[in-house]
Amino acid sequence: MAPRIRCPAAARGLGVAMGPSCSTIASSRSAALLWPATLAASTTTTRQYAKMVESAFAGVSTLRLPDDYVPPTKPPTARPSDVRKSQLLRTYTSLLRSTPLILIFQHSNLTATEWAAIRRELNIALANVSPPGTDAAEIASKVQLQVIRTRIFDVALKLVEFYDPSKVAPTTASTASGKKVKVTYNHDLSKAAYEAVRAVTKGDAPLPATSRYAELSPLMVGPVALLTLPAVSPDHLAAALSVLSPSPPAFPAPSRRKSPGYYDPIAQSGLQKLMLVGGRIEGKVFDIDGVKWVGGIKGGLDSLRAQLVGMLQSAGLGLTSVLEGAGKSLWLTMESRKISMEEAEKPAVVEEAEKVEEVMEKKE
Amino acid sequence: MITRFITEVSTRFNPFSARSKSARLFLSFLPPTARSSGMTITTKLLARTSTEPSSLTVKFKDGKELNFDSDTMGIKSLIEEVDRHSRILQKQSDLNE
Repeated sequence: MAPRIRCPAAARGLGVAMGPSCSTIASSRSAALLWPATLAASTTTTRQYAKMVESAFAGVSTLRLPDDYVPPTKPPTARPSDVRKSQLLRTYTSLLRSTPLILIFQHSNLTATEWAAIRRELNIALANVSPPGTDAAEIASKVQLQVIRTRIFDVALKLVEFYDPSKVAPTTASTASGKKVKVTYNHDLSKAAYEAVRAVTKGDAPLPATSRYAELSPLMVGPVALLTLPAVSPDHLAAALSVLSPSPPAFPAPSRRKSPGYYDPIAQSGLQKLMLVGGRIEGKVFDIDGVKWVGGIKGGLDSLRAQLVGMLQSAGLGLTSVLEGAGKSLWLTMESRKISMEEAEKPAVVEEAEKVEEVMEKKE
Repeated sequence: MITRFITEVSTRFNPFSARSKSARLFLSFLPPTARSSGMTITTKLLARTSTEPSSLTVKFKDGKELNFDSDTMGIKSLIEEVDRHSRILQKQSDLNE
């Protein structure tokens, strides 16, 4: 609150500085209005007037408010910075832009101890996916289960889809020293962002059918929690699913012997209240079955890539043999035709030669 | 919402339908100790492509069963209907004490 202590003095200083100069401007203006047209139009008075204005504003421009000045009508918020709405919006947009795998849960009145138990069990299950020190362990350490503010997340979803910061044109703004500079205001709280989102979602007009926001927005109801994975890793997803929404046989709950903490009554009562409703994987929206399908990919993305490469290679081999086959058969037919034509031509040529010889002999 | 007299809540909904809102909100109105105090809560999630209407069934201690069409009813009217019967039961239990 230190800046607030300074502001009354600063404001008073401003008032003192502005006081006389403002009154002079006002008086000269009113005088100009009262003067007859001929007098007001005379060059001397106008020049004088311009000078006066200039001097008045020169006095103001030298006076500058301190950089940490806070207007008394806008005191700094008492809310911690990480739960301010503006900060939450920034967090959510960056989360949506950077996170490829998000699972959406509904949580119905979980208590803090239940959350703690669920997070503990989740971390244990994720740590068991892979040995420490590998990339997979890095992924496991970055997995987060967080409760979100649903309405702000809804706004963040709109922003991420309908607003492209790179398309905002720069505007000119003046710095404190009066210099004009080009500035681009394209942050997520900017007017440009607001207008871009409003242009799409204004009124009752239906959203475009391909819109991801239109698919996800029905899920943004009531209390919502997100599980965010920093990479699309089906192994980690399967581990998380088997803890948070077990469904044997594909995703069985951890066994009672291996993780007794999972069967702790607190953890169990928490898990009963947590309900998986959908997911957003690589920008696409999946329901529970879709999420389970992704979690069921054996060997992760690498195995999928290997499958694709194998498929393309075999297809390539087939293609070359097909293309070669066509060429070969064409060549063979042409060749055989050539041979047969040559054979057909040869006797005729021989006969002609014999005829010529006969004629020559007769002439002789 | 008075949840003392509810013994069973069962819901069915497709979360990807905007009409599932009131059913989902009803679940979030149940207290954290609902299950441990003897209420059975069953939720069936429908597939994303399903067009089946969402449904909510509430059973009370006196055996009364209420079926709601949560597709068309809002959360306020759901709670109002549930509370209407709960208040009757509450009155009876107060008189018995």
